[in-house]
Amino acid sequence: MAATAVTAGRLLRLRAAGAEGHWRRLRGAGLPGGFLQPASADGDAAQRRQVAHFTFQPDPEPLEYGQTQKMNLFQAVTSALDNSLAKDPTAVIFGEDVAFGGVFRCTVGLRDKYGKDRVFNTPLCEQGIVGFGIGIAVTGATAIAEIQFADYIFPAFDQIVNEAAKYRYRSGDLFNCGSLTIRSPWGCVGHGALYHSQSPEAFFAHCPGIKVVIPRSPFQAKGLLLSCIEDKNPCIFFEPKILYRAAVEQVPIEPYNIPLSQAEVIQEGSDVTLVAWGTQVHVIREVASMAHEKLGVSCEVIDLRTIIPWDVDTVCKSVIKTGRLLVSHEAPLTGGFASEISSTVQEECFLNLEAPISRVCGYDTPFPHIFEPFYIPDKWKCYDALRKMINY
Amino acid sequence: MAVAAAAARVWGSSRGLGRVGLLLLRRSGARGLARSHPQRQQQPFSSLDDKPQFPGASAEFVDKLDFIQPNVISGIPIYRVMDRQGQIINPSEDPHLPQEKVLKFYKTMTLLNTMDRILYESQRQGRISFYMTNYGEEGTHVGSAAALDSTDLVFGQYREAGVLMYRNYPLELFMAQCYGNVSDLGKGRQMPVHYGCRERHFVTISSPLATQIPQAARGPGYGILSIRVDGNDVFAVYNATKEARRRAVAENQPFLIEAMTYRIGHHSTSDDSSAYRSVDEVNYWDKQDHPISRLRHYLQSCGWWDDEQEKAWRKQSRKKVMEAFEQAERKLKPSPSLLFSDVYQEMPTQLRKQQESLARHLQTYGEHYPLDHFEK
Repeated sequence: MAATAVTAGRLLRLRAAGAEGHWRRLRGAGLPGGFLQPASADGDAAQRRQVAHFTFQPDPEPLEYGQTQKMNLFQAVTSALDNSLAKDPTAVIFGEDVAFGGVFRCTVGLRDKYGKDRVFNTPLCEQGIVGFGIGIAVTGATAIAEIQFADYIFPAFDQIVNEAAKYRYRSGDLFNCGSLTIRSPWGCVGHGALYHSQSPEAFFAHCPGIKVVIPRSPFQAKGLLLSCIEDKNPCIFFEPKILYRAAVEQVPIEPYNIPLSQAEVIQEGSDVTLVAWGTQVHVIREVASMAHEKLGVSCEVIDLRTIIPWDVDTVCKSVIKTGRLLVSHEAPLTGGFASEISSTVQEECFLNLEAPISRVCGYDTPFPHIFEPFYIPDKWKCYDALRKMINY
Repeated sequence: MAVAAAAARVWGSSRGLGRVGLLLLRRSGARGLARSHPQRQQQPFSSLDDKPQFPGASAEFVDKLDFIQPNVISGIPIYRVMDRQGQIINPSEDPHLPQEKVLKFYKTMTLLNTMDRILYESQRQGRISFYMTNYGEEGTHVGSAAALDSTDLVFGQYREAGVLMYRNYPLELFMAQCYGNVSDLGKGRQMPVHYGCRERHFVTISSPLATQIPQAARGPGYGILSIRVDGNDVFAVYNATKEARRRAVAENQPFLIEAMTYRIGHHSTSDDSSAYRSVDEVNYWDKQDHPISRLRHYLQSCGWWDDEQEKAWRKQSRKKVMEAFEQAERKLKPSPSLLFSDVYQEMPTQLRKQQESLARHLQTYGEHYPLDHFEK
C-alpha cells in the first residue's frame, strides 16, 4: 500500500528513454544508474521518500450497474469518455496533448477508436480551449475540454465566468453552452508546488451558472463525469491527480450516472459531522477511525461531491443530528469553500451547534514545494481540531 | 473642421501628419467634428484623394478580392552563421570572438549538459522530486546570454537555465534549488529547475507558460521587428541578440528573435516523449545538428580545442557537479516557518496566527513530520 501510494505521489512517470545529449556516453560502464551511487541507507545523506498523507479506501463493488472491472481513477475517466463518445455522435474531446493519450493517460486509445475529428489537440492556450469549447456547445454539440492542470485554468477564467456561466441567463434562455464540460487534474500530489497542486474550486463557487464537481474515487469519477457531460449546464470536473493511480476499485463497464448536487454520507455517526471532497475524503475517513479508537467518538463522514450547487440539506440534516461540524480542504482557509458551508450551516442549524464549526484547511499561502508535509491539512491537524471540538 | 479634414487629406493619415496638421486637429479636439456642431458635417471627398480615412490604417484601397496567405511559401528565412559542421558560411558574419569567450560558450553548454544528466538520474533515484533537462537548446541560452549585458534583466522560462549558467550562477545554488535546501535563494518554495537570482538579474522562473507570446510570423502583426535564427548556431543567436539589443536601446522599440531549435530530451521526468514523437527524429537532432557539437567543431578547426582537453574537461566538470550534488544532498531543508513569509511584504496578522498554530501543532504531533530534515 505504501509503495503504491508513493508511486502515486509522483506525477505520471513512464519508462525513461534514456538521457539524450552528445555527452550521454559518459554513463559509467557497469555502475547501476551511471556514476551516481544509490541513495545511502542511513537516510542521512539522502532525502527520505514521502509517504502519502492518505490511504485510499475502495468502496464495495457496485452490483446494480452490471459487470465491473478493476480500474484506477484515470481508467475510470477513460471509460466514461469512451461511453460518451460511443453514444453521443456529437461528443468531442480536446485539450493539450490529449491525442496521444494525455499526460495522465485519461484519453488513451480514444483517438484511435473514434478518429482525429473527435479527439484532438489544441494549441497551448487555455483561454482558447474554453472559448472554443463554448462555441462548440452553443451549436449543440457535446464539448469535453481538458485543462492540463487546474493551476492553468486561470487564463480561461474570463471565458468560464463571463461567457459560459452567463450564456443562458443573458440570452433569456435563447442560447446556452450546457453541453460543455471542462475536466482538469486537481489537488496536491506530493511535490507539485505552486503550479501543480492547486485546488481552485472556491474561485468557481462564486460564479452562478456553472457546476463544480469533485470525485473521491474511480467509481464516483465515472458516474459523476457522465452526469456532468450529460448535464444541461456547463460543468467543471476536477480530478484528484494523486488518486489517478493510487485509487483502484471495481467500476462498472457500462455507463451509469451519479446525481449532481447530492452529497453522500459514506459513514454514519452521531457525535461529529466531517465534510470533505476529493482526496481529503480519505483523510477524514481515517480521522473518523482515529476518533473512534482514541476518543470513543462516532463520526458521520460526508463526501460533498458537488461544490456548486451544493447539497445544503444533507449537511444540515447531519449537523442537526450531531451538533458538531468539521470541514476540511487543501485549498487555503480564507475564502475557501469551507467558509460557505460554515456560514450556511450556522444560519440553518445555529441552535443545534454544540461547538463552533471547525475548518481545517491549507494555510493562506501559495502551495509550497519542500514544505508540503507541513502545509496540507493532514489527519493530525484534523484529529486535533476534532478533539478540541469534542472538548469545547 | 473643414480645415482639419483638409489638412488630413494633404498630409495623409494621422501617422503622416506634420506638426501643422496635428495642431489643427488638436484645436478641434479628437472628436472635434461631433463636438463643435450637433450634426455631423458631410465632407465631400474628391476621387483624387480617395484614401482610407480609418484611424490607424495607413493602407491603400484595392479593388481585387484576394485573401492574404497566412504562410509565405518558403517561410520566414532562418539566419545562421555556421553550417551543421561548425564552419563559418559567410566570413563577414563571423563575430570573431576571442578564444576565451568561445571557450566559455562551450564550457557553459557542456557543464549544463553534465549537470542535466546527473540531476535527471538523481530524480530517477528518488533524490529530487522532479527535473527538466535542456538537451538540444543550450545554444539559444548561451548565445543570447553572451550578447546581453550582465545587468540586463532576463525573464526566463523553465528550459533556459543556460542563461544563468553563463552568468556564473554557482552549481551549489542550482543544486540548492533542486533540493530545496537551506541554501536555496527561493526558500524551498518551488519545484526543481525554478531558479532565480537577483544579483544576476534573472527573474525567478514560474511554471506557467505565457500563451500569448507571438512567434516570428506574428511579430510583424504586432508591429514588432522580428527575425528567425538557427538556435543551434550559437554565433547566429549571439549576433542577432547583440544587434537587436543595440537597436532596441538606440531606437526604443522592441525586437523579437525566434530561435529555432529542438528539444532533444523529454519534457520533464514526468514525460516519455517516445509516446508522441519518433526516436529517429530525436536521433537526427542529437547526432546531426547539436549546438554543442557544432561549436566543438568550430573550436577544433581553430585549434582551440582537442580530444585531450575534451577528456580532461569532461572529467573535471563531472567532478565539480558531483561535489556540488553531494553537498546539496547533505544539507537540511529550510525551517518550516518559512512556509509563511513573503506572501506579502509584511505578514498579515491572520497569517502569523496560522504560523503560530503550526508551531504549536508540531510541538504535540512533531513525531509525524520529517522535522529531522528541516532546520529548526
